[in-house]
Amino acid sequence: MRWGHVTALVGLLTFFVGLSMILPLGCSLYFREGEAARVLLVSMGITLGCGALLYGPTRKSASEALSHREGMAIVTLGWISVGVFGAIPFHLGDVFPSFVDSLFESVSGFTTTGSSLLSNIEALPRGLLLWRSLIQWLGGMGIIVLSLAILPFLGVGGMQLYKAEVPSPVPDKLKPRIRDTATVLWKVYLLFTAAQVLLLMLGNMNLFDAVCHAFTTMPTGGFSTRNVSVMSFHSAWVDGVMVVFMLLAGVNFSLHYQMLKGRPKVLWRDPEARFFLGLVLVLIAAVTVNVHGVVYESLSSAFRYASFQVVSILTTTGYVTADYERWPAFSQIVLVLCMFVGASAGSTGGGIKCLRVMLLFKYAYRELFRLVHPRSVSPVKLGGRVVPEAVLSSICGFFLAYVGLFAICSVLLSSMGVDLLTSLSAVAATMGNIGPGLAGVGPMDNFSMIPLAGKWLLIFCMLLGRLEIYTVIILLVPEFWRK
Amino acid sequence: MASDFIAEPPREYFVKIIIVGAGQVGFNVASRLATENKEVVVVDRDAAALKLVSEQLDVQTVEGSGSSPAVLQEAGVQAADILLAVTDSDETNLVSCLFADMLSPATKKLVRLRNDDYTNFENNLKERPPHIDTIINPELELVRTVQRLLDVPGAVDVAEFADGRLKLIGVRLGPGSPLAGKHLWELPRKTGGYGFLIAAIVREEELIIPTGRDVLKAGDLVYFVTEQNRVFEALSLFDIKAETVRRALVVGGGRIGFRLAKALEEKNIYTKIIEKDPRRANELAENLNRVIVLQGDGSDQSLLSEENVQDMDVVITVTSDEETNILISLLARRMGVGKAITLINRFAYLPLVAAIGIEHVISPRLSAVNTILQHVRRGNVLTSVSLKGEQAEAMEAVAMETSDVVGKPLKNIDFPKGALVMAIFRGQEVIIPSGDSVIHPMDRIVILSTQKAISKVEKALAVKLEFF
Repeated sequence: MRWGHVTALVGLLTFFVGLSMILPLGCSLYFREGEAARVLLVSMGITLGCGALLYGPTRKSASEALSHREGMAIVTLGWISVGVFGAIPFHLGDVFPSFVDSLFESVSGFTTTGSSLLSNIEALPRGLLLWRSLIQWLGGMGIIVLSLAILPFLGVGGMQLYKAEVPSPVPDKLKPRIRDTATVLWKVYLLFTAAQVLLLMLGNMNLFDAVCHAFTTMPTGGFSTRNVSVMSFHSAWVDGVMVVFMLLAGVNFSLHYQMLKGRPKVLWRDPEARFFLGLVLVLIAAVTVNVHGVVYESLSSAFRYASFQVVSILTTTGYVTADYERWPAFSQIVLVLCMFVGASAGSTGGGIKCLRVMLLFKYAYRELFRLVHPRSVSPVKLGGRVVPEAVLSSICGFFLAYVGLFAICSVLLSSMGVDLLTSLSAVAATMGNIGPGLAGVGPMDNFSMIPLAGKWLLIFCMLLGRLEIYTVIILLVPEFWRK
Repeated sequence: MASDFIAEPPREYFVKIIIVGAGQVGFNVASRLATENKEVVVVDRDAAALKLVSEQLDVQTVEGSGSSPAVLQEAGVQAADILLAVTDSDETNLVSCLFADMLSPATKKLVRLRNDDYTNFENNLKERPPHIDTIINPELELVRTVQRLLDVPGAVDVAEFADGRLKLIGVRLGPGSPLAGKHLWELPRKTGGYGFLIAAIVREEELIIPTGRDVLKAGDLVYFVTEQNRVFEALSLFDIKAETVRRALVVGGGRIGFRLAKALEEKNIYTKIIEKDPRRANELAENLNRVIVLQGDGSDQSLLSEENVQDMDVVITVTSDEETNILISLLARRMGVGKAITLINRFAYLPLVAAIGIEHVISPRLSAVNTILQHVRRGNVLTSVSLKGEQAEAMEAVAMETSDVVGKPLKNIDFPKGALVMAIFRGQEVIIPSGDSVIHPMDRIVILSTQKAISKVEKALAVKLEFF
């Protein structure tokens, strides 16, 4: 481990986040929020300063090749650093009583979780509200991917970082060069965000709310500028636009790229996208039937709220238009399971990812098939291609790690005096980067009832989920640090 | 609108290269090109080899046989500027080019062919399908390299420009060398001003493009440029005496050994060749007239002393087993041979062998890599040669009227760091430049550049060419 390389790149990422504070700062100045502008200016100064201090002395090493290990260390430490500095505006703005709360909010933002500690969101100055949305937008496609697109010199080293930040079960590179891949991804992301802003404004949303919500939809984040989330707009159009863009955000971005290049059929040909969209349809139908008549009188409103909530949870966004805790148990269980499945690989969503779930099912079926035909040669196939055994076993490993850590963290949380349903759902919601859970952390509540140590635990869970477990957990393994 | 935004920006230096074969040659070419910001796609049948490539290099990989049209299409052959077919199989390479020609006639095709049967049809292959642009025969290149090494005594590395009129020679500075401890600015006094320029120094595996303030140290590998007819004068500076090679021993009678023996025979050098396999030895004896063919094991000390190896001017070890080559060379050196040239294929060994006293190394794969890179270079770059350790390349190019480097004294040119003009050819004249030299339009210039500076040099040379 060459620490020079690690600090240089972590410094660079921090510097980047500092630069991005210029947007909320401008917003604060525009709305004449003197105090918020001062807070943002000071935060920006601190972040830029610390970033430069880290980067400055070791900058030469930033352009060199990195080892696999260094890549993982840089990404995890970088995300921690970004989370800490992202919390400074909340802390200086006296939004929360303690720094841990600010950190929770910031990490929840960057990891696109969307779990909040705020009870009165609308009381926040607009500059800070925009910052809260912007960090989700930055974190959604990935801070590393963004810096790869912008910084030319992160060539060979960049690749290790990319792999650590965007771990995909079956890696696909859109372009031969990592930098071009990152640029393409960000362009698609930017394009969708802009389109969503326009469509939301057509639904009579003001520019500020439209931008903030677009910033949190595309990354499947879930922060809203309103206390009662998207529910407060009372608009079927807004709900519809949100559903469409959440779905878009939940699909692999390389498919979007190909579709925009004029090949719309790829969406239907891709087995994962088919699985994902099929699952969405089936679950919406099931939940609609379940809540119709019991909670909602008309079929249309049952469909509206069911579809919004299913898509919001399955894509791991976490917006709320209905208090789903009042829904029948069946619907609640469906939503909880959605938290585990998550969106597609290569999307901005979290969870275990559809691709892995699909392959796990195929793998399980193959084992059954082998019991019937012990001598059969039956490789697991995906879209007509054989999936290598190494990929399958790594997916099994990932699944085990995910479920295992879920169990351990829930037990830890309950040992702090949190009740059963809250413990389980809070951990599931943070590891899957969803946002709201059930009971104490349900859609109409927030995470402020979690004890201090529990907040630290959930911060850890959010990072675990965003970087897909291994990149984070490996730093806790002594072997990783052995020379 | 959306599709415009997503579409490729027109990039001036956009070069997409498909490499078929992720073996050592493919890997190394890919690695060099990827660091120069070219778009590289590597195709191979072996998933393990591809994994190695994708883990270490910023390139795209496609699994599948390079001779399959479907795979070539998947790799994006239609958009590719260059296709390099460098698998170990000549047949795969040829079929790959054939289909690339059908799918995308505009793509330039470079192919590695080793079998004489095929290379004899070079013109046919160029004019008719598959319309191969360049055929690279690494063995032929290798024989040329050996000949150059033999022509310059004491040289570790020799490259030629302008049909051999200019030589770039690498020599090791011994502890007793008269130049050790001297500043470079002191040198013109010793040379009396004739064309001689130290272009690069390799010290502890690191390549330095020197300035006048740099000091030469014993143990350095010094690269200098000089004209063909001044080579021996220049070598005398390093206390190296002119000796011509009269007796040579080749160990290993494979294809390379045979070609070498034949070439040496033609130059009237008294040559012996040792081959282990009796049948092959017979074949050699049939095809070689004045060469003495010996059947036996090259690592057998008694055979070597029986054949008076100590009287040989040079021993060239070219068996198929590189470890054996290294051992035989070491043995020959210990028995008193002045010069041992060793064939080594595995790139990982190259930095190590100097440490155990093997200076002269040839590598068919390295030759192949160099030749391929020469052809991939953009703009008006004519030839390129890479130096030991591959940290730098020498490139020969025509200075266009519009180029940034024309019309000013060299010292006023904002040349990329790590690059140096080694020579200027004007008509028949060869100029080894100083800071006051001026490049005229249509001059041919030779530039030495480190890996990092290559893309900048390419720009400086050709940036304005794009408007023609």
